[in-house]
Amino acid sequence: MTARYTKPLPRLDDANRPFWDGARRGALVLQRCLDCGTHRFPAARACVRCHGARSEWVATSGRGTVESFCVFHKAYFPGFEAELPYNVAVIALAEGVKLFSNLVGIANDAIAIGMAVEAVFEPATETVTLVKFKPVTT
Amino acid sequence: MPSRSLSHQVAVVGVGTTRYGKLPDHDAYDLGVWALDEALADAGLTHRDIDGLIVNRIADYQRFGEITGIDPAFVTITPGQGRFSGICIEMACAVIAAGMARTVALVYGNDGRSAGDRYGGASDLYGSGGAGLWFPYGMTSPGAFHALMAQRHMALYGTTADQLGEIAVTFRRHAALNPGAVMRAPFSLADYHASRLICAPLHLLDYCLINDGGVAMILTAAERARDLKAPPVTIAGFGQATALAGSSFPPEDFWRAPMQQVAADVRAMSGLSQADMDALMIYDNFTPTVLFALEGFGFCPVGESGRFVSDGRLRLGGALPTNTSGGHLSESYMQGWALNVEAVRQLRGSCGARQVRGARHVQYLAAAPVVTSIVYAGAA
Repeated sequence: MTARYTKPLPRLDDANRPFWDGARRGALVLQRCLDCGTHRFPAARACVRCHGARSEWVATSGRGTVESFCVFHKAYFPGFEAELPYNVAVIALAEGVKLFSNLVGIANDAIAIGMAVEAVFEPATETVTLVKFKPVTT
Repeated sequence: MPSRSLSHQVAVVGVGTTRYGKLPDHDAYDLGVWALDEALADAGLTHRDIDGLIVNRIADYQRFGEITGIDPAFVTITPGQGRFSGICIEMACAVIAAGMARTVALVYGNDGRSAGDRYGGASDLYGSGGAGLWFPYGMTSPGAFHALMAQRHMALYGTTADQLGEIAVTFRRHAALNPGAVMRAPFSLADYHASRLICAPLHLLDYCLINDGGVAMILTAAERARDLKAPPVTIAGFGQATALAGSSFPPEDFWRAPMQQVAADVRAMSGLSQADMDALMIYDNFTPTVLFALEGFGFCPVGESGRFVSDGRLRLGGALPTNTSGGHLSESYMQGWALNVEAVRQLRGSCGARQVRGARHVQYLAAAPVVTSIVYAGAA
């Protein structure tokens, strides 16, 4: 944690602050439409389903499945050089929202599409915690 | 969908291409001017004949008009995304049909290689503009986006790396017959597998080639085309559909829904079906996009595209010669424009060693969040 963090960091804008605040306390928090209940992320002023403008941020299950994944063998960002090859997955959350993230606690060649995963919270800096996913162990 | 009455009402009367490769002495304007000069010469027209101007990827339409001395009655400019080549050509048809212009020049200039454009990393804007949100996880680049789609296609349908490799090998064989192609040395399936992984499951040879170059096309009303120099190639059908909602993420249906819509519209407008096509020009930013397009446009059943391509069907001499120029993978990534020009050249019978004999109909297909397709018809 004291070593200089060299990967890109998210921009902590006001609109998405509840998501990053949630991650720091170990919760996957998404915006939810108060009119129709549809979850969304990143933050938007209106619901893409019903166009309602009223929303709240709510904690979610943190559960989802791997919709697909790829493995980077090229570092487009210098900070990722040391981690090559690293995976990126599309996570389809139980609440219907999708995220790009990384799978941890599993070898790249063991990842399978459809795999059940749950959120884990990985501090990057003092102010930023990233939301990653690990396989659900039943 | 576009009106059936527009079928064969617009013709391509001029096409022009620059050299492709590293052309550091030319910026995007220079490349556009060069391509336009070639297209005008091809058509036997002059700048004064142009009363419609659509520029793509060139930064400023006003500057382009200033340096070419064109004062068109209709002008517009479009972003440098490959999906816009099809959009621009379709728009030109609509503009001509509406009488807003008689003769439209479409001009594309791309100095991306010399300018050091990067498709991945901090400047990557692929998707719907929110790319930076995912950089902390290392997610970036259109290549990764298509790798995610390819991985899922493999899991769902048993598509293999060999099948992707066959596409890359085929287009390189075609490029070997195209003096204008940037990469012409043939390679084997073994070479394909040995090429380095960029974003697995995709290898270097699954990726298109970033280069400098320019392309121009001149479209006019088909009745006027008969008096011009070039053998007329008419636009028999075209269509467009989108999948913008949720498009930050790979589409679960590989853009099948919008492609099926466009395929139906094009068929209705042109009266032509898949079986009438003598060759295809498929937007090949990456090899898997070719598979998605073949399925989406109904050239093979859903999930069957890998097996469909694996027996040499896309090769010259095969049942459905595709990207006879070498395409984006081996000729140059001219963002759809050069593929549309190749369609025209095939229908004129001017493709030399890579000519599809007796080609009468060639279809351009683009699988992307904006799907477009154009069917070109040669003189019977």
